[in-house]
Amino acid sequence: MKITVKRWHAIAQWQWDTGKTDDNGDAEEDVCGICRIPFEGCCPTCKVPGDDCPLIWGECSHVFHMHCLLKWIGTAASKQQCPMDRRPWGETIAHLSVHTPRNLDRISISSDRREKGRRE
Amino acid sequence: MQMRSHGFPCFVVEIIMAASEALRNQVAAKWQDSFNRLNRTGVGISGLMEFSKAWAVAAEFLRPRDLGAPPKDFNTHEIRSAFDVLMQCRMLPMLLESFVACLDMSICQRICGRNQHLITDDVTRFMTEYDASGDPDVIGRLVLRLADWYFAWAPGGELGQTISSAYIVNFQTHVFSVLPAAFAAGFKRLLAATLALFTEGATPGVPASVQDSRLWPSFELLGLADRYESLIASVCYEHIETHVLETCAGKWDEPMLSRLREWMAEKVVPWMLLPYARGAKTAEEARTMLQGVGSRFDFHVCKTLCDLRTKEMFDIVIDYPDSTHALHDLKECLQRVDQRTQLVRALRKSNKKRLLHPGADTKDILTQYVSLIRCLRVIDPPGVLLFKVADPIRRYLRDRPDTIRCIVASLVVDGESGDSLVDDDEPIQPLQSAQVDDYTDPNWEPEPIDAGPDFRANKPSDVVSTLVSIYDSKDLFVKELQVLLAQRLLAVTDGNYEKERRNLEILKIRFGEAPLQVCEVMLKDMTDSKRIDQHVQSQSSSVMHPTIISRHFWPKFQSSKIQMPGQLHEIQEAYAREFMTFKPDKKLRWLSHLGSIRLEIELQDRTVGADVPPLEAAFIELFSEQDVWTLNDLIARVGTVERSAALKALLAWVDRGVLREETEDVDMQRFRLLERVPEDAGAGPVGITTAGSRTALAEEEPAVLTVQQQQAEQMKVYWKFIEGMLTNLGGLPIDRIQTMLKFAQGYDRTVDQLGAFMDAARREGLVSVKDGIWRLNR
Repeated sequence: MKITVKRWHAIAQWQWDTGKTDDNGDAEEDVCGICRIPFEGCCPTCKVPGDDCPLIWGECSHVFHMHCLLKWIGTAASKQQCPMDRRPWGETIAHLSVHTPRNLDRISISSDRREKGRRE
Repeated sequence: MQMRSHGFPCFVVEIIMAASEALRNQVAAKWQDSFNRLNRTGVGISGLMEFSKAWAVAAEFLRPRDLGAPPKDFNTHEIRSAFDVLMQCRMLPMLLESFVACLDMSICQRICGRNQHLITDDVTRFMTEYDASGDPDVIGRLVLRLADWYFAWAPGGELGQTISSAYIVNFQTHVFSVLPAAFAAGFKRLLAATLALFTEGATPGVPASVQDSRLWPSFELLGLADRYESLIASVCYEHIETHVLETCAGKWDEPMLSRLREWMAEKVVPWMLLPYARGAKTAEEARTMLQGVGSRFDFHVCKTLCDLRTKEMFDIVIDYPDSTHALHDLKECLQRVDQRTQLVRALRKSNKKRLLHPGADTKDILTQYVSLIRCLRVIDPPGVLLFKVADPIRRYLRDRPDTIRCIVASLVVDGESGDSLVDDDEPIQPLQSAQVDDYTDPNWEPEPIDAGPDFRANKPSDVVSTLVSIYDSKDLFVKELQVLLAQRLLAVTDGNYEKERRNLEILKIRFGEAPLQVCEVMLKDMTDSKRIDQHVQSQSSSVMHPTIISRHFWPKFQSSKIQMPGQLHEIQEAYAREFMTFKPDKKLRWLSHLGSIRLEIELQDRTVGADVPPLEAAFIELFSEQDVWTLNDLIARVGTVERSAALKALLAWVDRGVLREETEDVDMQRFRLLERVPEDAGAGPVGITTAGSRTALAEEEPAVLTVQQQQAEQMKVYWKFIEGMLTNLGGLPIDRIQTMLKFAQGYDRTVDQLGAFMDAARREGLVSVKDGIWRLNR
């Protein structure tokens, strides 16, 4: 007997590759340390998950929604530290390729503005 | 007293003899006076003689006699002079009295042994005949005969008003007294016959007396028209009722009320002229006389039609919109006849009896409800009737588990099926919610007088809003919508989901943008999947075209983890790898039990092609490793799968003639691959005998969990809390449990839902309830 697959309409879920190997099903539910919303969801300000609301990987191995973290870093109280372990925040470049410059610009500009507004 | 003394002189003399002198003188004077009056200027007693002759002539002239007897020959001059004499003697009242006495007797009693009670005889004869035949004609003839009597005995008009009116009164009184009770019924039938003559035209069967033009004048003469006035009216009412029932029952597709009114004007009014416009000289006069009674009959037409339509209302609603004309008729009738409460009561009753029972499909109930909304909006635009009638339906629908699903399914217009509740021509508009009264509105109108206390005039008016407002929140709808959309999107294999997008856009208008954001993401996942697939295919072509979903934005799926074996697994891996290179920060997790696979199986003597669910594909793939598998081994290889589902998948292959079931006992079901069609299979498909019947058993389960299932899943989380509090605090009433659960984050159940859950737990033997206190079973 020979079986040929002609066409396969499959269903899959996408998942952020957070570096953790939790291949044993959906028991593990990772949430953003800032907004407590799952990574595969979107941060409170976004409406669409995925590439429009990407994650950011810290050198300290902590992962956040990028928008959440940038907002945190934008505040003076943050002292540019990771909110989880208070180590100086540094982004790993391992996943940088996906963050489109456009996105980054927009976010940083908006957070700059907010910063400015508060100072004035 | 004085008069009488003149008639009986002997008697007077006796009194005189016994009386005193003074009295004697007085009587003598009176006597002289009377004598002079009767004798007038006659010589001796010649005047007196003349008077007695005149009396005799006049009395004979007036004496009632049998109709059959030959009329006596009267000299009119002689009679006139006789009456003149009586008049001069002022004796006419006396004559009248004796005439009346005579009349009494001739009608009712024997007179002098020879004059039989003439009329009584006639009446008895006719009534016996009527009793035997029941023919109104007999009554007609009786009336005519009575009229003949009347004319025969009537004193000439020349005798003056007093005599003739006294005659009429007496004649009528006596006639009425001899008419038996059965006459009324007969008279009624006679009237009905005359009315039928007018409305249906002269037919050969109509008896002659009914057509007789003297009939109505006779009624008038005999005073029957006045005496039986209510009877006449009831004949007309009954006729109207039969006519309305005959012509209008079940006829909803044309305006009947105007036709009925035409019929009244053309057929009934000419008849009504007879009893109700007697003595009208001109048409103008007749019209004014008919006005009052005419409007009474018009009212009756409306009332009858209204009653009929009220009775038929449920079916009228079913027939909507074909029954629009009936609704307009009813509306007009209701304005004239105040029977709104009856309508409400009848509708509620028939709804309860015919609609709101377990045998009715929810979809049918909804359809009927929507028709009802439309119908009652025609009859009563402010919606008071609707509010009253709809209330039980809404309450009933709220208790039905699948109401929301039905409403949502009908909201998502399906193009082909065309059985949506919502008309296409109804403009799509945002859901309206009840608003508070606008007190600055210059066109504000008070609520209708029969509105109940809960009634709100500015209720949402479009159908969808009304349906959605059955429930307190529209979140339930959005959730159900999400489930429905998920089912539909996952079923799309050709990448064409424009229809769903269109539906979503429509629904966005209704429910607003924000609640449907989730659905928006679902659609975006579809487009993204298509784009990603295009990219992946361009890198390395694959037979796989997955739909990649954002987990948190789709409804929960049936959890099932099956491992795809062999080449299927390889295909998955290859695709996932390609995806990872395209999107390095993401990975794929397969929901292997969802989707569909098109396979082509080359066997030794044949090729089988099929579109199958993944589980079936996984099993047949395993058969490429070895030809015989036991059910248990197969299940072990694909991971966690329910036995019934596995069996169903295998039996599907048995149906296709690819596998054969070889079962020795129930625990050791074995399946063998058929490389060749066995000889004994004959013409029919292989294995149909055992398997065919069994495939039907397992119901196709939808991949997406329904809202209820999801809620039940979530409720399980709270079981831990409940268990904890019952352990610590002993028994608790349901309200306490609810209050304490409210401390838990995200708990949004109602007491009812909690009650249902606790009930389910009780059925499983986890808890028990006594006097409203829940306890753990230990």
